[in-house]
Amino acid sequence: MREFFGNFMIKKNILVVLVIFFFSILWLGFFNLQIVKQDTYLQKSLNNSVRKETLLPVRGLIRDRTGRILVDNTAAYAVAVIPKVVKTAVLDSVTSFLNLDKKRVLKKIKRNSGFRPVTIARDVDRKKLIYLEENRLHFPGVITLLEPKRFYRDSVYSPHLFGAIGEVSVEDQKRNPSYENGELIGKSALEKEYDAELRGAAGVVYKMVDASGRELGRFDNEFNVAPQHGSDIFLTMDYNMQAFAESLMTDKRGALVALDVRTGGVLAMVSKPDYDPRLLAGKIDAATWNKLLNDEGHPLYSRAIQSVYPPGSTYKIVTALAALQEKIITPEWQVYCPGYFKLGRRTIRCWNAGGHGDVDLYGAIKGSCNVYFYKLGLKIGLDIWEKYSKLFAFGIKTGIDLPNESAGLVPSTQYFNRRYGKNGWTKGNLANLAIGQGELLVTPLQMAQFAMILANRGTYYRPHLLDHTYNFAEKENSFYPVEPHYVRGISNENYDVVLEGMRRVMNGGTGWRGKVPGVEMAGKTGTAQNPHGESHAWFITFAPFDLPEVAVAVIIENGGGGGANAAPVARKFLEKYFYNRLIPPAAPKKKIEEELAPIDSLILPLHIPGPMLMIPSLEDSL
Amino acid sequence: MRLKIDYNITILVSALLAIGLVAVYSATSSGSGENAYFQRQLIYSVTGFLIMVSMPYLSYRFLERISYVLYAFSVLLLILVAFIGVKGFGAERWLAVGPIKIQPSEFAKITTVMAVARYLSDRDVNVNRLKGFLIVTLLILTPFLLIIKQPDLGTSLVFLALYLPLLFWAGLNGFALFLIISPLITVLLSFNIWALVVWLILISGFLYFSRKKWLILLAIVSVHIGIGFATPYMWDQLHDYQKNRIETFLNPEHDPRGAGYQIIQSQVAIGSGGVWGKGFLNGTQTHLKFLPAQHTDFIFSVIAEEWGLVGVTVVLLLFLALLIYLISLASVVKARYASITLIGVAAILFFHIFVNIGMTVGVAPVTGLPLPLISYGGSFMLSTMLMLGIVQNLSHNRYQM
Repeated sequence: MREFFGNFMIKKNILVVLVIFFFSILWLGFFNLQIVKQDTYLQKSLNNSVRKETLLPVRGLIRDRTGRILVDNTAAYAVAVIPKVVKTAVLDSVTSFLNLDKKRVLKKIKRNSGFRPVTIARDVDRKKLIYLEENRLHFPGVITLLEPKRFYRDSVYSPHLFGAIGEVSVEDQKRNPSYENGELIGKSALEKEYDAELRGAAGVVYKMVDASGRELGRFDNEFNVAPQHGSDIFLTMDYNMQAFAESLMTDKRGALVALDVRTGGVLAMVSKPDYDPRLLAGKIDAATWNKLLNDEGHPLYSRAIQSVYPPGSTYKIVTALAALQEKIITPEWQVYCPGYFKLGRRTIRCWNAGGHGDVDLYGAIKGSCNVYFYKLGLKIGLDIWEKYSKLFAFGIKTGIDLPNESAGLVPSTQYFNRRYGKNGWTKGNLANLAIGQGELLVTPLQMAQFAMILANRGTYYRPHLLDHTYNFAEKENSFYPVEPHYVRGISNENYDVVLEGMRRVMNGGTGWRGKVPGVEMAGKTGTAQNPHGESHAWFITFAPFDLPEVAVAVIIENGGGGGANAAPVARKFLEKYFYNRLIPPAAPKKKIEEELAPIDSLILPLHIPGPMLMIPSLEDSL
Repeated sequence: MRLKIDYNITILVSALLAIGLVAVYSATSSGSGENAYFQRQLIYSVTGFLIMVSMPYLSYRFLERISYVLYAFSVLLLILVAFIGVKGFGAERWLAVGPIKIQPSEFAKITTVMAVARYLSDRDVNVNRLKGFLIVTLLILTPFLLIIKQPDLGTSLVFLALYLPLLFWAGLNGFALFLIISPLITVLLSFNIWALVVWLILISGFLYFSRKKWLILLAIVSVHIGIGFATPYMWDQLHDYQKNRIETFLNPEHDPRGAGYQIIQSQVAIGSGGVWGKGFLNGTQTHLKFLPAQHTDFIFSVIAEEWGLVGVTVVLLLFLALLIYLISLASVVKARYASITLIGVAAILFFHIFVNIGMTVGVAPVTGLPLPLISYGGSFMLSTMLMLGIVQNLSHNRYQM
């Protein structure tokens, strides 16, 4: 035999001996378990052995940047049944005693089996609990459990920021297979976004049980695992500012978003109408839920990030920057505004019926002249307009750390062709877009982000609520990664022009009611006509002008003129921000009548789709 | 017409397949309507068997010639899986081709063996030269790293298990083998000072007789002493959570809430089986569903519970016979390529068998490696039978040069 790699017989024998050696180890393992220790294991298996029980971790708290606790935990009692043990008659009496929907309970139990308790009612009130405990013997297979429930500290509101926790649904489990049946998880907003950090890790304890499920003590402590405390999360906001902003928006419909322009951190984010978050903590009452769901003010809906609106005149800034950068006009380019504008056979009035006269770009921004921007829009054309809209991050999600954000809509040539047919749309559509009307839709958050971009002259940061999380096990903070993004291709001189225009808006222009005394600011008002009633009032601003710190966007649905109604809200917010007090209003220098509010006239009647509702799926927790 | 099959292998494999089918039936029959598992496993077994007996009809030269191509293809698939793999139980292991899901790592085991064999079959290649040694290392390391990244530690370790047997069989000298193995043993023994001292003395003795230059020997011994004393120190330097991470890394299926439970239940099932077992379909641990993954990774505890030590011994002997037969065949075939491939297949099978059965009995960590020919699962069954089909081909062509 040829032996091309050395002596094969010796090598073969070495390998065979090794294999036999390892197989002997295996065999001895079985010998040890099945002969030497057979009695012990047989006994264990007869006792039907070991049951695994889950130890719930403490959910992390939500705090503001000063460390103040906003969302805390408290104890609640839950009633659970053990499917293997509970009899139908007992189940009947328990469900009727607790006023539960029996079909729902049965469906839930069906998804589970064996000795693992299935929670059928949460946050059960004390009297009923005591009754159940006192009559334990009449309810075999029914147990009571202690479990954590969210507790909102006094004067804490903001349901759209915190969101709710609820019982895991089948869809949640498909998305994340590590969720176990019956577990409580974050269902919406921050609770959902940071669920992985907040929830911690469940522990486990092994218990000896007999065939009927009775406990016989612990099994072997070596295998038990202690639960891990969930991380606390710290927000970028000072909750005093958030609470103040919410008070400013009380009884209004709309949203306010304030961002720190140096980091993108959210200083305040308000959406009204809203609801008391305590209503969705612990047990959720079906009637309350349906009332919230069907309320025509849509309180479950976070307007700041989910609602889309036409931005109105605030968008003239984008049109202006596009025209300047593409060198279509110079700031000195003038238009004569006679108070109306003729497009084809139609005549559209400027909001100022008397006309602005000869205006250049500064004047057009300051006075929010529609005629000027209609003409400008027709000059730059749809493609350039669309390019710059996307450059300023409209039409895409900002990527804020909240679920279900809307992207808004920036219409393009293709969009118009698809919607109206190749020749079905006109210059009127384009003129509309130039003043922020028409098919263009933005979220309040996108407008605040736009104000941040202007404040930083092109640099911006992803808006975020989270400052850092604190991990108890590792005793470590981990910070939200703040990274700069850039709007490329806009020259500094062009920013100078529009920012100067926006400064004039605040000093005697349409936004004068938004001016904080002693602070140089830039801003722009908007009054967006819409098919759902009175115009939406818009205002965006940043301050201080030279070293910007904060950008604010305010919208008040059907609030009328932006300068008259949205700007004062932003002013009060910023007064609190800069001076920590409200400054009494000075006597108006000149009388401006309400009917003179600059309205952005719609050229064409439009159908804008109503808001698409995306609400937390809490049905499983009812 | 005479069939081109090796009856020894065919009989051993058939017996193991039959035992596997019985075990899968028992493991899945207790619930209602779950016998679909058994039917599917039956289909996999029959298909696999047909694949195995048809492989000898392929040309031996063809197999040898396409080794590199197959290897390149499987590495490509592994790279693909990293990008467009389907997430299954937390790890990206599957590649979805329409409705079919394939697991490239299974395929890569045999193609790696074939590529190494093809390379070593070249007369000019010598593993005792640096170039030969490095190329073999590279051929094995590439799929290993791609799979460990998936992350599938269990399967990737199969590639490490190939490394030493292949080099050993290809004639790597004892001194080099010693240099590869000994540091690992030093690390393991470093936690017990007396074991370490005895081991270091043994090393020194061995080196003394190897008659190498004094300076080299001194360097090797000092490296070992360094490793031996540095390891416990470095381990202590780690934070608890880092230790935990390393332990979890070494033991990736170790979900702290799952793994402990599996081991407990597996040992109770095995121990309560005794000498003769509880009988077919009478395993209480199995049928009361205390045992998780009982038809896949923990199938051997079902056998142990129902058939006792007698059943365990029979199955172990069948596996042992198969492995010894493969090793013997490797020492008689005429071609280098065939010889190396046979050793590679034997190493793959051995590693799976030892780690899987060792896991159920508690002498090996829980790594999620299935038991060849017995565990439930289509992809693994087919890749095992393909491997054994290649063995059949080599056996049929054993006198070819």
